[in-house]
Amino acid sequence: MQSVVFPNKILPYFLVAPQIVLTVIFFFWPASQALYQSAMREDPFGLQSNFVGLANFRLILSDENYLHALQVTIVFSVATALLSMGLALLLATAADLVVRGKGFYRTMMIIPYAVAPAVAGMLWLFMFNPAMGTLAYLLRRNGIAWDPLLNGDQAMVLVVVAAAWKQISYNFLFFVAGLQAIPKSLLEAAAIDGARGSRRFWTIVFPLLAPTTFFLLVVNTVYAFFDTFGIIHSVTGGGPAKATETLVYKVYNDGFVNLNLGSSAAQSVVLMVIVIALTAFQFRFVERRVHYG
Amino acid sequence: MARIELKDVRKVYGGNIEAIKGVSLDIEDGEMIVLVGPSGCGKSTLLRMVAGLEGISSGEVTIADKRVNELEPAERDIAMVFQNYALYPHMTVRQNLAYGLKNRNTPKDEIDRRITEAARALEIEPFLARKPRQLSGGQRQRVAMGRAIVRKPSAFLFDEPLSNLDAKLRVQMRVEIRRLQRSLATTSIYVTHDQMEAMTLADRLVVLNAGRIEQVGTPIELYEKPETTFVATFIGSPSMNLMKLGNGAGWKMSPEARLPNSAATIGIRPEDIVIANGNAHGPVRAEVQVAAVELVGAESYVHALTADGSPVVFRVPGRSAIQIGETMALTADAARFHLFDAAGKRV
Repeated sequence: MQSVVFPNKILPYFLVAPQIVLTVIFFFWPASQALYQSAMREDPFGLQSNFVGLANFRLILSDENYLHALQVTIVFSVATALLSMGLALLLATAADLVVRGKGFYRTMMIIPYAVAPAVAGMLWLFMFNPAMGTLAYLLRRNGIAWDPLLNGDQAMVLVVVAAAWKQISYNFLFFVAGLQAIPKSLLEAAAIDGARGSRRFWTIVFPLLAPTTFFLLVVNTVYAFFDTFGIIHSVTGGGPAKATETLVYKVYNDGFVNLNLGSSAAQSVVLMVIVIALTAFQFRFVERRVHYG
Repeated sequence: MARIELKDVRKVYGGNIEAIKGVSLDIEDGEMIVLVGPSGCGKSTLLRMVAGLEGISSGEVTIADKRVNELEPAERDIAMVFQNYALYPHMTVRQNLAYGLKNRNTPKDEIDRRITEAARALEIEPFLARKPRQLSGGQRQRVAMGRAIVRKPSAFLFDEPLSNLDAKLRVQMRVEIRRLQRSLATTSIYVTHDQMEAMTLADRLVVLNAGRIEQVGTPIELYEKPETTFVATFIGSPSMNLMKLGNGAGWKMSPEARLPNSAATIGIRPEDIVIANGNAHGPVRAEVQVAAVELVGAESYVHALTADGSPVVFRVPGRSAIQIGETMALTADAARFHLFDAAGKRV
């Protein structure tokens, strides 16, 4: 490949500057602040802070609550990613079969993506609030003891469903595009080769969708780890009894509510390391099994 | 065993667009039928209707004397080779070959035996463990053929299988397809827009035009006795020269050449036109000016214009000394004329 060289020495730097500036201001600066804060401890009045080395990390890693939040996060993320990707794939394959009103159906499917996380959370809260929720009323009338305000498992189900619902649109879009990218002649060849229905789906369609599925797996994991704060905050506030307190929620709670800045910073550093490691793992081990066209 | 019959088959899209306008065709067991025609003539649609990939609007298709209109593609006992090969990219060559057999619950040792057999016949044994993307175009083509023959179907359907290959490979694969088809003696329908491919492969040729059959026959029949001007110009390269009869036309008929009254057009193949010897008056004669000379190796094609500006192509052996701009007189043997009436039908 021919390498392209700008005649002007300054222009190229000028052109990439906006991107660099944004990354520095909104990622490197706060990240380095978090790193710095994670090694400090503030006195109770916030007047001064002392360097304490790795003490904050030692504290959180031996904290039962922190380990509990880690466990909650894993359950929450896996459930959210699986539920939203599974449903989106189901809906996308269904959309592929729709003949009339395809455009309308797809547009309707995409609308939830335009809803802000906190608003989405409120929607589900209203529907399933044990005191006033319509659907909560129906559930209870049918003999289900529905009370997410007291029952931790039910609260978890509620936030998972709300978080997954929000993400289905996004996954749906990518799955629809992925399905359309599968050459029609391959499906016809499979039809002649005697593969129909679910057999054709699992032996031909699903393996060919693997690049899309892998990409969505990474995106959904990151989404479940970071972007679901709004939903959890509005639906359960991390309760009951920390049953839905994920790592991100705990960072917020310890830092901005309890004002334990050192611990909160240490937690966010750990969270960052986890997500980077997870993504690297996915690229290293899962991607190997992915076939790119 | 596996005759294929098409009875007044029609394809209508969206209620009023008729893509196939009533095609009837009997294909004998073991015969290689080539469907040929310009793009958009419906040849691929017809093939896909036999395969079951397109619905049949009316009429009937039978394979081995069994009506297949309502059957799924897999139940018709056919195998198809696609233009873009349609190999499953995530499977190895071996898995590609085995897929259709596995879906039919063929025993494992039988699958292995058939793959070994097909791989040997197609010389793809070294590639069995590879993925399609690691193969060249020609090798992919062989695998696509292999996927069809391991199934031992009652018919092969080929949808322009050589279009994506380069010219040299195309000729080589053409010969190979013919050899394989002969040795397996499997009834085949082959679709192509390339008349060279059609001529060399076919037992019988079907020329389609705008959803209708123009003519069915052996390649030589179609070449020597085209029933319509469409077939006359479609089969043969360069195409047949057509000239209108009448006053003021560039070609002058001698009174001795007795033509039927209904003849409106004469067709003369490029190889039947000769340069007139001096002033000798042949049955037909035209003064032309040479516009271009194409040297293709063993022969040359001369493109010329008659006095009234209609084009003529004729063939001269070897390298010709004819110069562009030169004028000369052309003639032809009346026995080699193809005569057509005003509607374009052979007289």
